[in-house]
Amino acid sequence: MVDLARVQKELHECNRDVQVSGINVTLKGDSLTHLIGTIPGPIGTPYEGGTFKIDITLTDGYPFEPPKMRFATKVWHPNISSQSGAICLDILKDQWSPALTLKTALLSIQALLSAPEPDDPQDAVVAQQYLKDHQTFVGTARYWTETFAKTCAAEEKIQKLVEMGFPEAHVRSTLEATGWDENLALEKLLSS
Amino acid sequence: MASESESATTEASSFIENLTNSRNIDLSLFLPFILAFTNNSSISSTPVQDSSNPDQQTQEQTTPSEFLDRIILVNPLTQGMVVIESRSSSSFDSLLSELMRKEGQPPASQASIEALQSVEICEEGEKGECAICLDELRVGGVVKEMPCKHRFHGDCVEKWLKIHGSCPICRYKMPEEDGDLNNKSENRGRRREIWISFSFQTASANSNSENEHDHASEV
Repeated sequence: MVDLARVQKELHECNRDVQVSGINVTLKGDSLTHLIGTIPGPIGTPYEGGTFKIDITLTDGYPFEPPKMRFATKVWHPNISSQSGAICLDILKDQWSPALTLKTALLSIQALLSAPEPDDPQDAVVAQQYLKDHQTFVGTARYWTETFAKTCAAEEKIQKLVEMGFPEAHVRSTLEATGWDENLALEKLLSS
Repeated sequence: MASESESATTEASSFIENLTNSRNIDLSLFLPFILAFTNNSSISSTPVQDSSNPDQQTQEQTTPSEFLDRIILVNPLTQGMVVIESRSSSSFDSLLSELMRKEGQPPASQASIEALQSVEICEEGEKGECAICLDELRVGGVVKEMPCKHRFHGDCVEKWLKIHGSCPICRYKMPEEDGDLNNKSENRGRRREIWISFSFQTASANSNSENEHDHASEV
């Protein structure tokens, strides 16, 4: 049986300092065993500016067993499967400890984004590219961040402004013109 | 032909690298493609030698009389194939579970768990949080103290130490049960895997079947 009291405490604790850590955990549905974590791409990496969603499933053994975590957002990284989002990280496997929490596990994943370990790859193709053609790797990782880790936020912004009664095409072009700054775009839309 | 053979070998080695490097082999990739499983003395008597690993060869020769469990797994997507052999008399299930088991610090010995000190929290300054359930360690409550001085609720830490014998906070290693240790190292020595890569493409079926043959004779 999952220790629900502990999970609730964790959620409370994690969402209290979301402004500082940038790490967020929310319920996926009604149950406390399916959660969505979000981590900001670390600054100074090809993942900067992206918001990455992590699918979290808690097994009955939690916290004595590690949470099952996988990237729901596509990401180009040697230790993350570009196909399935599976993560190769020891603390999510044999190095798990019950003193770790969802938040610390997500922080570790964020650290993994900053410091790939190509010698222990999850995705062999990405790892090969990382080692042999680093320039291309950085380019691809950045492109994937732009394409997959930012669209969600962009779509949400568009949705918000469309709901205010602005035509979608206009909203999109205005947002693009203002560098996806919601407030600037709103001002512009109101003044036009 | 030579270059094709070479590319096949490279492919095989990168595939092997990928799988052997990952900390636990994801067997679920292969499960739908299990071709054969044998526990058969006639097969075990076939001399199987891995030219790339003389150690394993020696091992084969020193224990010729034991049974071999052999599983052949094929993944058509990566065109990889693995033959897993085990010299134990274990069943298919236990072999699979052995392969898939997540390793880590083995459980602490029963004696060492029983020997954990019980400590009563008597001062305000001593109270804190049990890192396992995140509940309070209350003043007046009795908690268990590990040799590394980290404290937890008795139930919490005992449950953990029966799974992995390390401190949740600092990974201090608890003594292991002796018997378990021996069994485990024996099991490890008994397993071997042979990796083969081949292509399913029909256009180059001839040359590839030769490749396969080359590998087979090497193996």
